[in-house]
Amino acid sequence: MFIRLVADSFSRRPRQKLLTGAALALGMAVATAALSVSLDVGDRLAREFRSLGANLLVTPQADSLPLEIGGVDYRPVNAGAYLPETDLGKLKTIFWRNNIVGFAPAMEIPVQAWTESSQTLSAPAITARGTLIGTWANHSVAVPDGSSYVTGIAKTNPWWQVDGKWFREDQAECVVGKAFAARSGARIGTTLHIGSGNQNVALLVTGVLSGGGSEDDAIVAPIEIAQRLGGKQAQYRRLYVSALTKPEDEFGRRDPATLAPSEYERWYCTPYISSIALQIRQVLPGAEVRVIRRVAEGEGAILTRVRTLLWLVTFAALLAAALAVGASSAASVIQRRTEIGLMKALGAGSGTVGLLLAAEQLLLALVGGAAGYALGIILAQFVGQKIFGAAPAFSFFVLAVIVGLAAVVTLLGSAIPLRRASRYEPAPILRGE
Amino acid sequence: MMPDRKMFWRIIRRLLSANRGRLFVILLALGAGAAITAALLNLQVDAKRRLTAEFRTFGANVIIAPRDFSESAAKPRLYESLFSDLSEGMDTGMIPKAAFLYGVANASIDAGTQKGKPPAAGNVIVAGFLYSGNRPDQAVPAALVEAEQKFATRVRRHCDVGQQAAAALHLRSGDSVRLTNGAHQTSCDAYVLPALGGSEDSQVFVELHTAQTLFDQQGYISLIQLSIPGTPGQIQNYISLLQQRLRDVDVRPVRQFTEGEARIYQRISGILSATVALVLVLTTLCVMAAMTNVAMERRNDVGLMKAIGGATRRVLRLFVAEAALLGLTGGVLGAATGILISMWLGKAVFGVAARPRLIVYPVAVALTIIVAIAGAYPLRRLANIRPASVFRGER
Repeated sequence: MFIRLVADSFSRRPRQKLLTGAALALGMAVATAALSVSLDVGDRLAREFRSLGANLLVTPQADSLPLEIGGVDYRPVNAGAYLPETDLGKLKTIFWRNNIVGFAPAMEIPVQAWTESSQTLSAPAITARGTLIGTWANHSVAVPDGSSYVTGIAKTNPWWQVDGKWFREDQAECVVGKAFAARSGARIGTTLHIGSGNQNVALLVTGVLSGGGSEDDAIVAPIEIAQRLGGKQAQYRRLYVSALTKPEDEFGRRDPATLAPSEYERWYCTPYISSIALQIRQVLPGAEVRVIRRVAEGEGAILTRVRTLLWLVTFAALLAAALAVGASSAASVIQRRTEIGLMKALGAGSGTVGLLLAAEQLLLALVGGAAGYALGIILAQFVGQKIFGAAPAFSFFVLAVIVGLAAVVTLLGSAIPLRRASRYEPAPILRGE
Repeated sequence: MMPDRKMFWRIIRRLLSANRGRLFVILLALGAGAAITAALLNLQVDAKRRLTAEFRTFGANVIIAPRDFSESAAKPRLYESLFSDLSEGMDTGMIPKAAFLYGVANASIDAGTQKGKPPAAGNVIVAGFLYSGNRPDQAVPAALVEAEQKFATRVRRHCDVGQQAAAALHLRSGDSVRLTNGAHQTSCDAYVLPALGGSEDSQVFVELHTAQTLFDQQGYISLIQLSIPGTPGQIQNYISLLQQRLRDVDVRPVRQFTEGEARIYQRISGILSATVALVLVLTTLCVMAAMTNVAMERRNDVGLMKAIGGATRRVLRLFVAEAALLGLTGGVLGAATGILISMWLGKAVFGVAARPRLIVYPVAVALTIIVAIAGAYPLRRLANIRPASVFRGER
């Protein structure tokens, strides 16, 4: 009988139920879309922030003081310490290896350069002095676990634009900075002769680099060539690492030396920039890992703000959805005064009437909530696709929250009118008063 | 006509006060919709502006350097006067900016403070600097500005030593450092800066005029850093403006930050607009559905009014007026609440209360009224109702 009553109520006034259900579905769709997007947005934005480039810098611990202005080291090649290039594969073995999105070693040496056209029979005419930056463009690193990983300077310095092509790793090729190109007359296709000390090498120019910094006035070539010219086989002077991190909070800023063992565990297993720096230090002996504060802190501040902002907007969406759904389910109960009066006159107790209406509302919440969830997921995918080019991942959490919210909100929305309904005296209602 | 109008309002008054619970429910739905609309619209305008300010934590985004910067390390080629003339004739005089003069000097610890430490001396990059603008920490590292403010009242000259430089020289805060360049020398009390992760870590910072004397470069600087606020487009405009004005020097954006910023700003403002639009559209639909549900209930009233001789148009006008009145009340109350909420939200997120935008208020109220009237639209269908069927209790 109970089920029959509920079924009857649905079939008797389909339009009304449809309207309440639609309001519910729409409300839940907003909630689903907003929730999925903001759950997902933190990771996506963190990835976007990697367009700012490296946030960790690795240098030799026993280094002499760099004479560095604007990213150019003015020390001679034989001053200071170097790190072994062969260790770099270990970077992909640390706990947060998947958070490391790219790394590239660099080594700078001062060189002279001349082109074929400026060369005479008697002596090579030096057309330009400059810096040769040896690095990786598209290097395949052997990881100790047997796999390999492709990375390079384009990942750690994504704002470097190359007109033409990057050099190939195993070839005698290079790209030249645009200011250097203008100064020396080198173009794509010219062969550039590079000399340092008594070593010479001829490099084919494959591209013109513009980066807006000191690299615009340099030659960028495979690190092997820089190593050969400088006589530092398989070594590098600094390493740029770009890692996905969690913005440092109060806990992340604490000194790991003062943490209790369990706290230390938590700190170590959170991708704070400082804990990733520590893990890199552990696999690269003799290295000093410094956080590039300018990048890391700006990123942390903005990410935290944006995340809070989106959570607040999501909360607003949930609130709006809850109120609208509550209001419409309240309205649907208020309408049924006469029916409630009739049921009570026929001998139904307040509890039974309440239970009946609550069951109806819950059924509606389930159907409306499910429809809203489906609609919301489509919306979230659309938004995610439009803005980040990737749909948010399915999250069971969202489904659970939406179903729970739909049920709670409809019940709460109908609770107040239901309470009043249970106090109705049947006689005046039936008389139409 | 007069009694007619009086009657009209009387009926509306009765319609509204007949069922308090129902009135409350409608006002709640409309008010909530209006509040969300107003809060999000206000916050969205404000948040985009705040975000651009937030991006300035990355520091300087424009560098002005001598045209040929290849060997500029020790050869300053800019006149110092350029630094003060920079913002002349531009409306943005308070842009944070800093001038630097670089040079290599020999640093050693003064004998008096050495006390058993290994004798350490070596070449370091000495950077003389000068800043101005209302947020200097956006043009030079914040730690440097803090140190300057801390030592501003000291009589003795001080210098800020980067962490790597301090380690190489075995320096601690408070030690006295002697900087020598040829015949010129100066000494100062060292203050060791926290690690910054950039080339600053290996430099020693002194006042610009100290460095100019040390390197015998009076009236010269090596480069100027600017931190230009605004959206990526505004920054680009400002750069082109500077490039036009300063033809004989190199004005270039720090591409790492200008490009990254443009990209991230675009994403964030996109996600914000999308979420807000989504919430607004669906809030509207939800409110409309709730209103419609309530309007359908008016079947009996319409039937009764028609039975006692009300023309369909007049009956409809009555209900539309009621909806509009509800929309107005809900909108006025809700939008005011919403703006207050958005101010609080702004405070919670950015630490500064969002500035209320006056345009948001009428827009939110108007939107609510439109939604309320649109929600009453199904009443048009009620115009076809035959009074008799209502009285017979037919559905």
